[in-house]
Amino acid sequence: MSGEATPFPAGQRILARVQGFLDRLREEGVRVGTSAGVDLGHALQNLSVLDRDAFRDACRVTLAKSPADLGRLDRVFDEYWTSLGPVPVPPASEEGKRPTPPRERKGAPGAPPPRARPPPEEVARETIQGRYSPRAPALGHPLAPVPPERMRRYRSGARRFRRTTATLPGRRWERAPAGSIDLRRTARRGLRTGGEWVELARRDRALRRADLLILWDVSGSMREHTSELFALVHVLRRTVRRTRVFAFGHEIEEITSLFRGESYRRTLDELASRLHGAGGGTQIAHCLGEFRRYWGSVVRPTTTVLLVSDGWDLGETFDLTGQLEHLRREARRIVWVNPYAADPGFRPETAALKAALPYLDLLTSPVGFPRAYALPGSRGPTRAAA
Amino acid sequence: MSDGPPAPRFAASVEGLMEALSSQRYVIDRGLATAVFLALRLEKPLLIEGEPGCGKTEIAKALAAASGAELIRLQCYEGLDASASLYEWDYPRQLLSIRLHERDRTTAEVESEIYSERFLLRRPLLRAIEGSGPVRPVLLIDELDRADEEFEGLLLEVLSDFQVTVPEIGTIRAKQIPVVILTSNRTRELGDAIKRRCLYTYIGYPTVEKEVEILRRRLPDLPAQFAGEIASFVQRLRGEEDLAKRPGVAETLDWANALLALGEETLRPPTVAETLGLLLKDARDLETYRKARVGALLASP
Repeated sequence: MSGEATPFPAGQRILARVQGFLDRLREEGVRVGTSAGVDLGHALQNLSVLDRDAFRDACRVTLAKSPADLGRLDRVFDEYWTSLGPVPVPPASEEGKRPTPPRERKGAPGAPPPRARPPPEEVARETIQGRYSPRAPALGHPLAPVPPERMRRYRSGARRFRRTTATLPGRRWERAPAGSIDLRRTARRGLRTGGEWVELARRDRALRRADLLILWDVSGSMREHTSELFALVHVLRRTVRRTRVFAFGHEIEEITSLFRGESYRRTLDELASRLHGAGGGTQIAHCLGEFRRYWGSVVRPTTTVLLVSDGWDLGETFDLTGQLEHLRREARRIVWVNPYAADPGFRPETAALKAALPYLDLLTSPVGFPRAYALPGSRGPTRAAA
Repeated sequence: MSDGPPAPRFAASVEGLMEALSSQRYVIDRGLATAVFLALRLEKPLLIEGEPGCGKTEIAKALAAASGAELIRLQCYEGLDASASLYEWDYPRQLLSIRLHERDRTTAEVESEIYSERFLLRRPLLRAIEGSGPVRPVLLIDELDRADEEFEGLLLEVLSDFQVTVPEIGTIRAKQIPVVILTSNRTRELGDAIKRRCLYTYIGYPTVEKEVEILRRRLPDLPAQFAGEIASFVQRLRGEEDLAKRPGVAETLDWANALLALGEETLRPPTVAETLGLLLKDARDLETYRKARVGALLASP
């Protein structure tokens, strides 16, 4: 066969385009699985492909799994399905064989080229480029793995932390005045009364799990501590399953999905590319306000809030007080992790920290974190336990 | 399992579904209608996330009412487990039965008796699977984010195969696959596995036009102009930066109902201040807005 392209049936052409669309979504961080693609195929059998709105709705319903996904999908949809270039022609196949869509196709014709993932050996040296901020220079964040010994300390600290801050029922049972019937104890009790079950014993789930919210300052002033704090956040996320993680500087965004089921190195890699726009100054009050506005329902009476920041804030102290007061009312406890709190000469003297102190249950450092939560008294208000 | 998807008589098309839900006074936009339509057609669970009070639960109710199906609701909470959601043995009755028959029956007979379906307490998931009416039942799993992650694991099995295995009885398979609607307020992120098995949609706050339509549909006695005033005021309130809890559509409906009950025909500052508690459910919000900002909000265009 010559190198000329064979005619490409319409169905195959649409499939190739849809496949390109799915690839493009994956490049944008939307996790589109094979089953979602199959669902889209089934959906399109029930709707008209020629109706653009119906097609978009079908994509939204089957491919997106979160509000963030919906935003990305809409953007990619508009970009991809408007800028249709020439149809990708499959490589010349053997005569008589049906052409198949290309497997390694990346992005749509006319679409911007995908961002290249850096080789793993360069990850440690990768820097996070700063987004423009008029008040602070955009500096990079060096991200490198912390030593295994320190990771072990963080892990044990995180486990202690989970035990001390547990507010949710776990799998284990314990005696309780009300709850389900404990047949084993009821039967044993019955032995005292000649085998008659006079009194039913009850049991309920013991509180074993924590509900954690991490608000992590990734502004320029935190750059020296990013690796250390990343290790801490990663370990906490792996240890406390009900954890949500938000990164903030002068904006706030959720990054929980980065930590889901991934290894430490892989998450490090992901984080480096995801937070490429982080840097610049911090506006804690503004970010807490945004958080309250868009994710306010995340904070519940069972939630422990971990605010990871150095307290260098460009915002108004009055605003910060208002936001923390609100957080104090909504959450079970607030812990401030300050990377400088381990220094012998440390005093909470920044305006933000001074304003925050009355609302904190604990002020500690990443290094002191495991030790602080080993203390039996750390359940109650303990300040400057670094 | 069912043999092929049954033709839903109320949803031959997206337009047909919109009409059917509209007859139940549920105002639905095309995107949401497409999501529900596809959930019906593909026989897949539909996960609806969104702001509290924006109609996630209502859509299941409207769907059940429109199709004449039974609505089976499972309200999720922390600690929800198989015994409260799937099935449980009726222990007190089993004990009683043992005592009654311990003299006249053998152990094997008693055991066979107490582990029969007569002693099985059916919880919502099992009831939905056993549903044998002419129409597929609507199973509403409400506020799934309140339940524990272990419960999601239990749901995975039920929602994948639509069957339940009771060790003492055997496997109970769905005669017809129920319409499953799951809702979440996003107080925590649901697991990837459960999301993968579901179609997904998000309901945000409505536009002012849609909110006016909802008010008019739900409260036919409400004059059009007054509905417009109420919807505009609530929209402005939602736009306030420092609100701890923004009012949903449910709050708007309650408030409009209250204003009607008070015989109001237009928004007046004193009445708004007195009834603001129906919109704002946070003490500090209420204090701030009742004292100082109601007038400004009413005056703004």
